[in-house]
Amino acid sequence: MKNKKTPKTVLIAEGLRKSYGLKGNAQQVLKGIDLRVIEGEFVGIMGPSGSGKTTLLNTLATIDRSTDGQIFIKEHEISKMKDNQLSSIRRKHLGFIFQDYNLLDTLTVKENILLPISLTKISKNQAETEFHAIAEILDIKELANKYPAEISGGEKQRTSAARALIHSPSIVFADEPTGALDSKAASNLLENLHEINQERQVTIVMVTHDPLASSYCKRVIFLKDGRIFSELYRGEKTRESFFKDILDMQAVLGGGD
Amino acid sequence: MTTQKLVMRSMRKNIKMYYLYFFAMIFSISLYFIFSTLQNDPTIVNMIRASMHFSTAFLVAGILLILITIVFTMYATSIFIRRRSQEIGLYQLIGLSKAWVARVLILEHIILGLGALLIGMLVGALLSRLFILLFMNLIGLETMIGLTFSSQAVIQTIAVFTCLIAVTSLQIILTVYRSTLLQLFQANNQNDYFVKRPRIISGILGLAGLSLIGFGYYVSTMIVDHADLLLFLMLLVLASTILGTFLVFHTTISWILYVFRKKQNGNLGLYNSLSVAPLMHRMKGHANSLTLITVLSAMTITMISLSYSLYYSTENDVRLEMPFDFAVENMQEEASIISSKLEEEQIEFEHFQLDAIRFYGAWVEQESNVDNRHRAFMLFSAEQMAQAGLDVETPQYGEAIYHNTRTSIEGMEISFPKYVQYASNDEVNRLIVSSFRLENVMNYRFHGEQLLVADETFHKMRESIQESEHSEYLTFDVFHLLDTEKSDAASDIFLTNVDSDQYITDFYSAYEGSRQTYGLLIFIAGILGFVFILSTGSILYFKQMTEAEQEKKHYRTLRQLGFQVNDIMKGIIRKQLFVYLIPLGIGLIHAAFALNVGSVLIVASMLTPIIISMAAYIVIYLMFTVVTIRYYRSIVTNAL
Repeated sequence: MKNKKTPKTVLIAEGLRKSYGLKGNAQQVLKGIDLRVIEGEFVGIMGPSGSGKTTLLNTLATIDRSTDGQIFIKEHEISKMKDNQLSSIRRKHLGFIFQDYNLLDTLTVKENILLPISLTKISKNQAETEFHAIAEILDIKELANKYPAEISGGEKQRTSAARALIHSPSIVFADEPTGALDSKAASNLLENLHEINQERQVTIVMVTHDPLASSYCKRVIFLKDGRIFSELYRGEKTRESFFKDILDMQAVLGGGD
Repeated sequence: MTTQKLVMRSMRKNIKMYYLYFFAMIFSISLYFIFSTLQNDPTIVNMIRASMHFSTAFLVAGILLILITIVFTMYATSIFIRRRSQEIGLYQLIGLSKAWVARVLILEHIILGLGALLIGMLVGALLSRLFILLFMNLIGLETMIGLTFSSQAVIQTIAVFTCLIAVTSLQIILTVYRSTLLQLFQANNQNDYFVKRPRIISGILGLAGLSLIGFGYYVSTMIVDHADLLLFLMLLVLASTILGTFLVFHTTISWILYVFRKKQNGNLGLYNSLSVAPLMHRMKGHANSLTLITVLSAMTITMISLSYSLYYSTENDVRLEMPFDFAVENMQEEASIISSKLEEEQIEFEHFQLDAIRFYGAWVEQESNVDNRHRAFMLFSAEQMAQAGLDVETPQYGEAIYHNTRTSIEGMEISFPKYVQYASNDEVNRLIVSSFRLENVMNYRFHGEQLLVADETFHKMRESIQESEHSEYLTFDVFHLLDTEKSDAASDIFLTNVDSDQYITDFYSAYEGSRQTYGLLIFIAGILGFVFILSTGSILYFKQMTEAEQEKKHYRTLRQLGFQVNDIMKGIIRKQLFVYLIPLGIGLIHAAFALNVGSVLIVASMLTPIIISMAAYIVIYLMFTVVTIRYYRSIVTNAL
């Protein structure tokens, strides 16, 4: 399909379908999703359990393959790429924050953060500067030489966020990043993400079931039964009133999760 | 669901994890079966009766084999129980008793073991004939033997197997009863550890490890010169190298890695993240097993190399001691009978007569306290020797060359020139011995130390030495067979025609004798070495398998971050090279020093057999590395 993208678009999904299981007995999880994310957006994806939000994220993030439809990340059409090409797209263009952090427990905080740029031809000094800039924002400079087992959950998630940002990706995908955090650590992290989104113009796509978390977004997409049910834009609203809108929408959707 | 169904189902599910364990068990059982079949083979039983060496060797090897099999099985069992600890915990969590869990695990083990026993004995029965042929070939016997199925071997194998099951059952019961639910659930989840920053003490310990090994090596070079302290020095060397090896694995390597890692200042890179970092985390936990593996490797390599060297150089060594196939002293009549009989049998040969003088004299030693008593010497003419086909150097007029094959062991001072003093007619009664050769010029059975002089010197000395009770003129009759295929018959002719009271033997009988001894030695060393390497390789493989499972999550994360399988594999291969090559390397160096000590046993050069044995060991060992890397690759590929 020909598409005249504005230069600011970083992610396009068209007619995205995904089904599991064999033909005849297949279960459709995504039933045709169209989505466009422009540079600097902070998009939340919400929906009840089984609505397909994690599947959507995994498919967009090239970790899972779609059954049908097209996905463009920048100019790259990824749905027909080979595994190795996908790896290279992930390494160059994408960043990931997971619910359970996925830090390598044999590496220190700093080693974990610098891992994504380890195969690029980046000078030691440059890596050092990048690390300091990001660690400053996320307030984890003091933790540089600690192991994951020695730090708290919130610190782990901020480390994970730093790792997702170190190589200046086009999009950061976050899968329930606050899912395992207490409320203070969660709002801490969300503040950080918000700040990074605002100041560094980093595009973030976040799956969450927490209305508070999605109230930090600029736009929230609601999924139901594998289709986009509705969208909410924050616009000029305060975070509190956006939060109320999200709660109302969830009530309409039913199944608060 | 009944217990049996559960057992069958969990076994099916765990088959992938079990299959190498299963194969290793089959292998040990079949090797043991072959071994006990050999032990009970009538031909070999006769041989064993004839020689103390043989029966002791078989006994010791049998015990070692059983020990290694038991240790290995226990090791593997503990790894497998640990891997299934979550499952065990789950059974207990839903209310099943510890007794039930233990029963299920033991049942599984017995089923697995019975399968291995059956297959192992079958394979053993099929292969034992091959092994007997190999054995007969090694010791140079050509008796044909039929395939004898030994019921004694079956009973022996079943007994050992029962022992094995009993030991592992006990182990299972102990593990199940001793561990709490919490431990069971956390056993696989050892992620909560982190590397302790090393203190100065670990630097000191690290250095101590290296120095202990160095000290052990240094002492080992002195063993040869201090044969009187042999046992003490050997224990000292063993203790200090083993302790040193342990410290190297426990501290030194992690310390070196720590220093390296600190230098990287956080920018570790993918490959080091997959090799250096996990190695540092696990080195301390692995210190015991890596030490065991290193020591076993060193032992195996030494054992195989030494016995192979002995076997390999048998002909050479015997030839150095017995340059002539047959030789008799002052027995011209017998010699002519022998040559006519050999002609009758149409065996081609060469016959020479050699003159010699036996006289009594003494070595002139610098130090007066050295034992200076008179001893017998035999003087030979170099020109005559050369005519008889020996490749000898002719010394200058008035000088002699000392020929002996045992000097290095008996600790005689080897600094030449030396002098031999003797009673003679003229005044010059000293003979200069200018140099030394590590070979005999006459078969070793004849009395006297062998000196070789030029023909001119020989005649002059013959005139000058007083013929008395202290000296005699000798004539040796020596034979060389040209047709070695009939050596057996020729050997019989020779032995029946010389007086058996004189303990004269010929080259072929001596060669057959040592070939049998060393053939047995290499055969037993081979079987043991095979079991050793299989155990060490399997233990490393099991450990790495467990590690791979534990690190699966890391690989998944790395794949998600966009690293390709091949990039990840590069890091993993680096780690595997560390894990496998460090014990191998240290083991090889240990073995080299051990062989250096052992080399006094053998006259000929050991280089070729040592290189062949080490190469064989390395190849088999590296096969485990390849298998491990393949396992990792499948884990990484399926991680995402």
